[in-house]
Amino acid sequence: MNAPPKVVQSDVAPVEVKGLTRIYHPDRPEIRVVALDGVSFRIERGDAVAIVGPSGCGKSTLLHLLGCLDRPTSGHYLLEGQDVAQLDEDDQARIRNRHIGFVFQSFNLLARSSALENVALPLLYAGVRDGEARARHALERVGLADRAHHRPNELSGGQKQRVAIARALVTEPSILLGDEPTGALDSRTGAEVLELLHRLNEEGTTLVLVTHDLQVAQEMPRVIRMLDGHVVADGPSGPIVEELLRENLQASQEGGRDAAP
Amino acid sequence: MLLHETVRSAWRSLSSNRLRTGLTALGMIIGVAAVVSVLAIGEGAKASVEGRIRALGSNLLTVRPARGTGPVRTGSAATLVRSDAEAIGELSGVTAVSAENGGSAQVKYLENNLQTTIYGVSASYLDIRNLEVARGIGFTDADDRARRRVAVLGGGVARDLFGAANPLGERIQIAGQGFTVLGVLVEKGDVGWASPDDYVLVPLGVHQGSLFGQDALSTISVQVESEAVSDAVQARVETLLRLRHRIHADADDDFEVRSQTEMLETMGAITGTFTTLLGSVAAVSLFVGGIGIMNIMLVSVRERTREIGVRMAVGARRIDILLQFLVESIVVSAFGGLAGVILGTGVAIGIARLGGWETSVPTYAYALSLGVSLAIGVVFGVGPARRASRLDPVEALRHE
Repeated sequence: MNAPPKVVQSDVAPVEVKGLTRIYHPDRPEIRVVALDGVSFRIERGDAVAIVGPSGCGKSTLLHLLGCLDRPTSGHYLLEGQDVAQLDEDDQARIRNRHIGFVFQSFNLLARSSALENVALPLLYAGVRDGEARARHALERVGLADRAHHRPNELSGGQKQRVAIARALVTEPSILLGDEPTGALDSRTGAEVLELLHRLNEEGTTLVLVTHDLQVAQEMPRVIRMLDGHVVADGPSGPIVEELLRENLQASQEGGRDAAP
Repeated sequence: MLLHETVRSAWRSLSSNRLRTGLTALGMIIGVAAVVSVLAIGEGAKASVEGRIRALGSNLLTVRPARGTGPVRTGSAATLVRSDAEAIGELSGVTAVSAENGGSAQVKYLENNLQTTIYGVSASYLDIRNLEVARGIGFTDADDRARRRVAVLGGGVARDLFGAANPLGERIQIAGQGFTVLGVLVEKGDVGWASPDDYVLVPLGVHQGSLFGQDALSTISVQVESEAVSDAVQARVETLLRLRHRIHADADDDFEVRSQTEMLETMGAITGTFTTLLGSVAAVSLFVGGIGIMNIMLVSVRERTREIGVRMAVGARRIDILLQFLVESIVVSAFGGLAGVILGTGVAIGIARLGGWETSVPTYAYALSLGVSLAIGVVFGVGPARRASRLDPVEALRHE
């Protein structure tokens, strides 16, 4: 394990991964899986990146590693210049709390708590004594100040996801990680949520979304395409999404159904 | 995470499923209530036994023949005689002495008769034993010396023989001999074992003479000046009797002297043993209550796996999750303990009202039950809480 570089340089990126590898069950050949194989990229401050690829390409594994929910088998993960790849569990929890904002496909709000309390939850774990004002401000940013005391079951799907986004934003994290954030929404509310994410990105939030949805990918300036644990394309979304669409079309003309994005 | 937030969140989670929480706490409620009421009954019994022993007379030493020792109980040896009692009366620190012997005989008045214990006692007996004559008078030393056939009846005996009629001056037959009733004792009601209500008291002289013809005494009651000299007087009595009975230095006493304090201790030990025994049985239900809590907490952890994952994702450390579930189980068991104390106190009061038993909840019972229920919350909650805190966040988030 390498000592984490502590020096913050002027050109430090919020996220930089180098040779990130994750192998499940490395010691048991019969079920050993190489989910990520030497992935490297850098995400600049203010980026908005979509990570796309077919099921099993390793994008969920990558999301868990970027979110400090898991540890890579090898490789480096520099978050704000600090190598967080091999931190212990408590430090990982601290990183998740301060530097990562999660937005899930299924919202994952606490059912018994109000919108405001859900948004304030990360602040509780951060030990912030009176987080209510900050939580209110986060709710205002997603346009739900008037729903502060509603419970999740009193909110629409789009509103729930906006509460979840407010919860992700409330600690002002280095990156906002979305796992199919529009996947459980109809196309109209999905578009609204995407618009909100765009606005937040314009306000300076660094955005990383994992998605199947090529339309979502197209809306992001940058796309990282993954296949079999490798990054196979990384660049402006236009050409990459275009190529994906072309491949999909080709596959469906050939009658194949296995070439999902 | 701040502690009061943890408690608040635990409370909310518990109150969102009131029925389940109530049923979980029920085990604790019943267990604690059982322990509290058993302790209350035990404490009440102890107090009432103490009261009865004190009612036997104050500053009392009781001298009895030694019970046979060895593998076979040989019954009481006939070692105490009246001159022993008189000698004890001469000792300093002794204010009164009564020599006593019992015997069972038929007591008869007209058509009514009953079998009861006839006590031959000294005239000082009534004073020493705190017995009062309700009607008539007690007998005197002169009656004793002259071996007069006079009797003082226990309240119960008087009622059984005479009904509503006035027994004073009437002649009754004791073992076929005619006795004149001098007085009737104040009825004490049920005082447990050997109630004086059922006695017939006659002067020891006639008891030892024509009635039973036995010189041996069953008891010598010694009243001492004050509790302070009780131990010293007890030692003097022992020395005196050893001398009088010519007991060799390395031989055992052929008598035993017991003070009231010793009787209190003995009876206290007996009621204490019963209380401990019953209390332990009740404590088993606390254990069962604890297992109930553990069971529900395990279910709760499983149900809320996803919630645990979310909490971890937003920054909960393992210790935060552990505390969250631990606090929940402690809140349930403490709530159960509190309700159990209230219920147990109610049961104790109910038993006192309806059953006529003396009960009193000792203060330590409150501290004990609350402490124990908190401890149960910790002991049985820590397993499920650890399980929750050890979940893998990725797996927990995937959990349906």
